[in-house]
Formats: sequence, C-alpha cells, structure tokens
Amino acid sequence: MVETGHFALVLALALSMVQAIVPIAGSHRNDARLMAVGGPAAVTAFALVAVSFAALVVAYAQSDFSVLNVVENSHSQKPFIYKLTGAWGNHEGSMLLWVLILTFFGALVAAFGRNLPPTLKANVIAVQGMIGVAFLLFIVLTSNPFTRLLPAPMEGQDLNPVLQDIGLAIHPPLLYLGYVGFSVCFAFAVAALIEGRIDAAWARWVRPWTLAAWMFLTGGIAMGSYWAYYELGWGGYWFWDPVENASFMPWLAGTALLHSAIVMEKRSALKIWTLLLAILTFSLSLLGTFLVRSGVLTSVHAFATDPTRGVFILGILVIFIGGSLTLFALRAQSLTAGGLFQPISREGALVLNNLFLTTATATVFVGTLYPLFVEAVFGDKISVGAPFFNLTFGPLMLPLLAIVPFGPLLAWKRGDLAGAGQRLLAAFGAALLTVLAVLLFVDSASVLAALGTGLAVWVMLGAVTDLALKAGWPRVSAAVGVRRLAGLPRSVFGTALAHFGLGVTLLGIVGVGAFEQEAIHSSKPGDRIEIAGYALTFQGINQVAGPNYVEDQGHFALSRGDAALGTIMSSKRLYTARGMPTTEAGIRTLGVSQLYVSLGDPGEDGSIVVRVWWKPLVTLIWGGALAMMIAGAISLSDRRLRVGAPSKRWKQPTVVAAE
Amino acid sequence: MFFWVSAILLTIGAVLAVLAPLTRKPGSAEPAASHDLEVYRDQLAEVEREVERGTLDSTEADQARIEIQRRILGLAGDPGAGPAGGKGGFARMAGAAAVLSVPLVAWGVYGMLGSPDVPSQPLQARLEADPADATVDELVARAEAHLATNPEDGRGWDVIAPVYLRLGRAEDSVRAYATANRLLGPSATRESGLGEALATTTGGVVGEEAVAAFERAVALEPGHAKSLFYLATADAQRNLLDSAERRWAALLGQLPADSAWRMPTERALTEVRAEIAKAAVPGPTAEDVDAAAAMSEADRGAMIEGMVAQLDAKLRENPNDGPGWRRLVRSYVVMGRRDDAQEALKRGLAALDGGEADELANLAVSLGLSVEQ
Repeated sequence: MVETGHFALVLALALSMVQAIVPIAGSHRNDARLMAVGGPAAVTAFALVAVSFAALVVAYAQSDFSVLNVVENSHSQKPFIYKLTGAWGNHEGSMLLWVLILTFFGALVAAFGRNLPPTLKANVIAVQGMIGVAFLLFIVLTSNPFTRLLPAPMEGQDLNPVLQDIGLAIHPPLLYLGYVGFSVCFAFAVAALIEGRIDAAWARWVRPWTLAAWMFLTGGIAMGSYWAYYELGWGGYWFWDPVENASFMPWLAGTALLHSAIVMEKRSALKIWTLLLAILTFSLSLLGTFLVRSGVLTSVHAFATDPTRGVFILGILVIFIGGSLTLFALRAQSLTAGGLFQPISREGALVLNNLFLTTATATVFVGTLYPLFVEAVFGDKISVGAPFFNLTFGPLMLPLLAIVPFGPLLAWKRGDLAGAGQRLLAAFGAALLTVLAVLLFVDSASVLAALGTGLAVWVMLGAVTDLALKAGWPRVSAAVGVRRLAGLPRSVFGTALAHFGLGVTLLGIVGVGAFEQEAIHSSKPGDRIEIAGYALTFQGINQVAGPNYVEDQGHFALSRGDAALGTIMSSKRLYTARGMPTTEAGIRTLGVSQLYVSLGDPGEDGSIVVRVWWKPLVTLIWGGALAMMIAGAISLSDRRLRVGAPSKRWKQPTVVAAE
Repeated sequence: MFFWVSAILLTIGAVLAVLAPLTRKPGSAEPAASHDLEVYRDQLAEVEREVERGTLDSTEADQARIEIQRRILGLAGDPGAGPAGGKGGFARMAGAAAVLSVPLVAWGVYGMLGSPDVPSQPLQARLEADPADATVDELVARAEAHLATNPEDGRGWDVIAPVYLRLGRAEDSVRAYATANRLLGPSATRESGLGEALATTTGGVVGEEAVAAFERAVALEPGHAKSLFYLATADAQRNLLDSAERRWAALLGQLPADSAWRMPTERALTEVRAEIAKAAVPGPTAEDVDAAAAMSEADRGAMIEGMVAQLDAKLRENPNDGPGWRRLVRSYVVMGRRDDAQEALKRGLAALDGGEADELANLAVSLGLSVEQ
C-alpha cells in the first residue's frame, strides 16, 4: 500500500508533465485533440494524488514505522484521530495535502469547465499542470513522505504536542483550500495573457473560484486564530506572527480581487488590474508557502529546516511569480482595456476599496519581510511586532471600514454620494448613539473604544440598510418589501452578510481590546478570584493520565452572586514521548464573551499561579468570520451571469476624496 | 504482488487518460469570439429576467441592453482564435510522445526512488505476526515490551541475553545474563554467556571478570567447551602462550569429532604453536608459568611486570621485532596500562614497516587502542 502510494505520486508527476505541455501545444496549434488531453489528465492526476494521500493516511493510521515520515511524526499510543491528522501535521505530509488540493482544483476546472472556450480551458489546465509539476517535483525530490526506514523501528517519535489538537484536522485543509484555490484565478489570468485576449465572461468564470478560495481562506485564518487563542495559553487571537501574515496577505489581496472582479464582470472595466491582482494574490500564496515551508521563519509552524528545500521553493517562487509578471508586462499592453466610469460610482468605490486593500497588503508585506531582509543583509535579528502593524495597518483599515456601507449603495457608472449619504443617515445616527452610550454607560475614559464600537455598528447597520433599500423599504409596504427581498439575487445577500460579518468581527476586536480584564493570582485550594462580576473558587489540582500524556487538572467553581455556574477545568499537560509541556486553557463561554483560565507555574508553598481573563465579545471575532464564510457560500450558489445596469441619471459629481 | 498489480493498473489508467482524447476525430476549436457572443446573449436574457423580477426598472434595463449590444458590436473587430490549423502529423507525434512519456517517466523516477520490494508493515500486524517470520528487531522489541511489564521473568532474560549479544548490544546482554543468573540460578551456559558478553564489552579482551565467569561455568560443567576455549584465549592474551597451548591441546583431546569448537580450537592451537616457535624472545617458560601459578597475586603481578619491563627494554635496543611489539602492546592492555600500551604502539609503529606494522595496527584496533596514521 505504501509503495503503491509512492508510485501513484510519481505517476501523477508524469501525468502533470503531460498536462502542463500538451494542452498548451494544442492551443498554440489550434488542435482540439491535443487540447482535450488536459481535462482527463487533470482528473486522473487528482485521482492518483488522492490514492497517494490515502496511502499516507493509512500508513499513519496503522502506525507503519517502515515509513520514515510516520516514525518522525507519530506514536503508537497517540489517539486515533491525531494519528490521521498527523499525516499532514508535518512538512512532507502537508505538502502532499497542498498538491492534493491543487490537483483537486485542476480536476474541478476540467469537470465544470465545459462552457469554457476550449483554448482558454486548455491553457488554464496547462498552467495548473505546471504548478503541479513544480510542487510534485519538490515533494518527490526533497520532501518525499514515502521514504522507507529499514529495519522498521517499533515506536515513533510522536507529533509536536501543540499540533495534537482538533484544530489540525480543520485549519491546514481550510487554509490550503484557500491558498491553492487562488491558483485557479492565477491560471485563468496567465491563460488570458498567453492567449492575448480576455474573454467576455472571464470574470464570470473566475468568480466562483475567487469566492471559494476566499471563503476557505477566511475560514482557515479564523480557525488558526481560534486555535492559537485556546492552545497557546494566554488568550491572544492574533500575533502578527510572520506565518499568520503569510496567510493574511493573500486574504487581503484576494479580498481586493473579489471586489475588482465584480467590476470586471458587471462592467467590463478594470480588466488588466484584475488580471494583475489574480497573479499577485496567488504569488502571495506561494510566498506564504515559501515562508512557512522553507524554514526561513522560526515559529510553531516552521517544522521544516532544510536549506535545499528553501532553495527549491525559492526557485518555484521565482519561476512562477517572475514568469507571470514578465508575461504580464509583455502582454498587458495588447489587452483591450475596459469601460470608463465616474469617480463617484460603484466602480469608483470598489477602486477605492482596492487601493486601501492593496496598500494594506503592502504594509503587511513590508512588516513581514523587513526583518528577514535586515537579518540577511546586516545579520541583525529584529522583530516587527504589533506596534508597527497597529500604526500602519490600523489607520489604513479605519477609513476603509468607514466607507464600506457606501459602496453597495452607489449606482454603477455614475453614483450619487449625497443620496447614498442620506439613505445611510439612520445607520449613522444609530452608530453615533452607540458611541454616546459607550461613553456614558461603559467607559467614559476610552474615546477610541467608543469610536471603534460606533464604527462596528456603522458597518453592520450599513449592510442592513443596503438590504432594506434593495427590498424597497421604506417606499413600499412591509409585505411588498418582504416579497421583493425574497426575490433579490443571492449575491446581494452575500454582499450584505459579508459586510455585516466584517462589522461583527470588528466589534469583537474592539470589545476584547478595550474592555478585557485580567487577574493574576497565586492560588491555593479554596482561594477566590473575582473578575468582571464573576467569582472563581479554586478547588485544587489532580493528576490524570491521558493516552500519551499526563495532565495536572485545576478545577474552579464558577459563580456570579449567589448563582453557581458549574466548574471550569484548566490544565497543564506533559507529553511523555517528547517531554513537551502544553497548556490547555479552561474556557467558559458566557453569552458572546468568555472567561479564560490558564495555569502558570507552581509556587514553593503549594500554590499555583492562576491567570484569568475576562474577554468581552471575543467570540464575535470568529463569529464574524463565520458570517463571511457563509456569505461566500451564498454568493457562490448564485450562478447567474451578472450585468451591472448603469445609472442613467446624470449629475455633476461633487468633488470628494475618491482618488 | 499487490504492488505490481496496482502499479500496472494505475499506469494503464494514466496512459488511457492521455490516449482517449487523442483517438477522437481530429478537429479544431471553434473561435473564442463565438463563445463571447453566447455570453452576451445570456447577459441580454439575464437583463430580461431581472426586469421581470423587478430588480431593474425599464430605463436601467435599456441602458444595460445598449451596453451589451455595444459589446457585441465590438466583437466584430476581435480576431478571436485563428483559423483551424490542426496538422495531423504534429498531433500524432506529440500525442505519441505524451502517451509514452507517462509510463517512462513514472517507472524511471520510481525506479530511482522507490522500494517496490518492501511491504507495508502495520504495527498491529507486526506484533501479531508469527514470530518465525519476524525480524530480530521486532522479536527484541516484543520481548522488551514483555520484560518491561514482567521484569521477574528469568526465562525471558535468559532468551534475550544471547540475542542482545548477537546484535552487538553487549552491555544489555551482560545485564540480561546477570538478571537471568540471579532469577534462575547459575548454569554453565549462562555463566559462559556472561563471560562472552563481558569480553565483548572490552573489545575482545577476556578480562578478570570474564575469566571468573568462565571458571564458574567450568566448575559447574567441567567439560564446557566454550568456557575452556575462552580461558585458553585469556592465557594467550596474557602472553601465557605455553599455558594457552596446553589448554587448547587438552580441549582438542576431549572435543567430540563433530563439535563446532573443533575447527577454531585447531586453528588457535596452530597459531599459538607458531607464536611460541617464532618468539624471538622466549616467552615465559612452562616453569615460569608454574611458578607464577604458585605465587601469590601480588608476586605474580610483580613477575609479569618484570617480564614486560624486560621486553620493553629489549625492544628499545632491537626495535625490528614485530611479534615482540605485539606481545608488549597486548601485555600493557591486559595489565590495564592503556597509556603505556598507546605509547608502546606508537614506538612500534614508528619502528616497524610493511606487513609487520599493519599487523600491529590491526591488533591495536582489536584491543581498542587508537591508531594514528
């Protein structure tokens, strides 16, 4: 079975080579037969990589220690679920997952691309094939998960305990679905450049891929954030860690792509820019893969520290990013640019969105790579942390969030800013009231917190206003409004829900940032810790043996006033195979807020340091992301061709800062 | 077998995936512009649907229609794809190359990287497999797991001890033999095994502890061949060549004709006799050895030291004596004076050349000394 998997992997490499060359030759010579080779090749390559991946998972499930990768990352005593997830909780396996998803998308293009013009389809599949060849070669030559170890030892070295978590089952697959999903957009862009023409429905065809990739990436990032939050033991949800930034950059660029593709689809404008964004987004995905996989960064995620791998991925990076940008530079001139529009219009708003998002991407890019640059050139290790990003990224996001509600309310081609403003008056008033309410009743000292809350409410109500206006309220009766609302295209709901989710996430960030409370207490059994109106009574610690770890469990009785609210268990584990400790925070969700209890070091007198955080509104951070994911799915289900009807009303645009 | 069948099936599948589209009738793609036209028609239809749904009013719909019609007009100037130009010859060549490349690349690369003969080895199956089919490592791992939970199982220690020794884990073997002796009581086999393991830990030198173990074995079973052989070896290593010769000769006399020890004993006897004959400096005579046997431990030590010092002095005067250097180095090692042994080795290697120097170096390596070249 193991060797069958290995062979299937190599066969997939051979097939990907055919997939990368033959269809493109066919499109060049306009030969339908050669072009048709791409589809079956892509589907079969996916099947083969799936066989290969299944073989690896089976090897993990059966603790086959004749496979080096299993020896290095598994242990016979590990719980079964983590044996399975351990298959991709390491460098080799995760690269195999990467390629599995890549070929999966290639197969999807082949299967669902029946409406595509044959030359475009052939070129897209060929570009996918090229990416596949590069990464399959990388796996086979530098990171082969099927390397055998003989004689097979009887026990493995176990998986990094931090990764022995359900998060590993969800986070990497989602993240890779996002990263790799953008490869389809990239392939479409490069295919258009190779052909030298952009088909009328290019944006329509690219839309589902962008949406799907964006949706998965959103989920992957949110899941990773929540995982870090509960596993690392101090309740931070975002660290501006280079590995996080590596996933955040494609998200920002992908969000920009999502918006510019709308302009392209509806109005045939911003074509060349959209193409460039598609290339940049996937380039950032590749860069993220390089940063994490080459081991140039040292963090939890960087389990690979082999320089040959780094150089290999750098080569892939240079070929694909350099190659596609060169192609872009050569061919962009010959592409027909799209239609014109006024600065004050839906298009204009989306351009503004793109400006902010790409600038934000650039700041994250600089903040992430500058320390590497300094280390490489001057040999100094510096770290660019939260202060840098708060100073640069924050100020870019605030105006963007402030204008989010305006976008969907502006008409295509030429819009009416004053009109949109009028219609948003109610939302604005509500946001203003929120600011006042926060200042008066919650915290009169923190103006920023009040303003942040107001901004979040503004974004959320803006999305609601958009839906209400599209339904015809308040002009039509409630019943007619409901009927019209039900008749609205699903993409409208998608837009509104995504923007609403953005506001929800913002509310969570502001809530936990401004109103978090913390208590540190050196506790003995019987001690009480009071926080945010709740009381925790420490009941003591007992030792429990897990399947492959021993655990000190601290128990706390939670109460508020006289009401008992059950207990919270927080623990510290020691994984015996690697001798590594982990903290397992005790978390109790109360409404949308959470109490977060973490055990510290024991003192000499039998006490133990207990850290308790009150995290108000914290779950909204991920709830908003979930809303964005659902919004993506709703939009994705809307398969119509979309036409943006331009507005006929002509008004001299008032001068606003829309540049 | 499973591997070969599956690999061949996978290869056939992959080749068919490339082959199938190529066997279709040759043709050329329709120009992309016609696709665009279809898209625009769909868009016009979509405008009508939106009007019906009430999301577009009539003026907006008119605007949209005008714009889409403008795009359709724009198509006229679009070159689209060129005329059909699929040449049969090129396609056939390219197709054939593509089809062939799949098995060639796959089998070639796999041939370099794969291990087709290595079966999967799920842990559970390995633990349940018939012990006769298991590798030594697996058996050892299973036995170790068993002994970890049943440390008082003397039989287990007795079984694993010689296996350890064969695997080169001499110290584990010593521990296992000692434990087995403690739990089961001594036996000649176990005592001699312990001696052998002890000798292995010191790089083949049969030291005092090992000699004691062999002597206990002989006490338990007077004719114990392995122990007698090792005791003779110990003498030879101490340079008591005559004593060694007598022991081996006696052993040879008592061994049955089909004994496995016959061959090594004969060889050792030949060697030791040659050594005695060759000795430029006579070794201790039989009387010396008898005298030594009669002496107290301290006196015997003093006598041996005196003889070694004598040899050392002789070699300083007359260094071109390979056997002498070997005896000197071995003697120092046996006496535990490793620094002196090292120093003597250095001098010997400087003095000797060719085969004699190599022989000395080999001996030194077998005694665990470091040889600088």
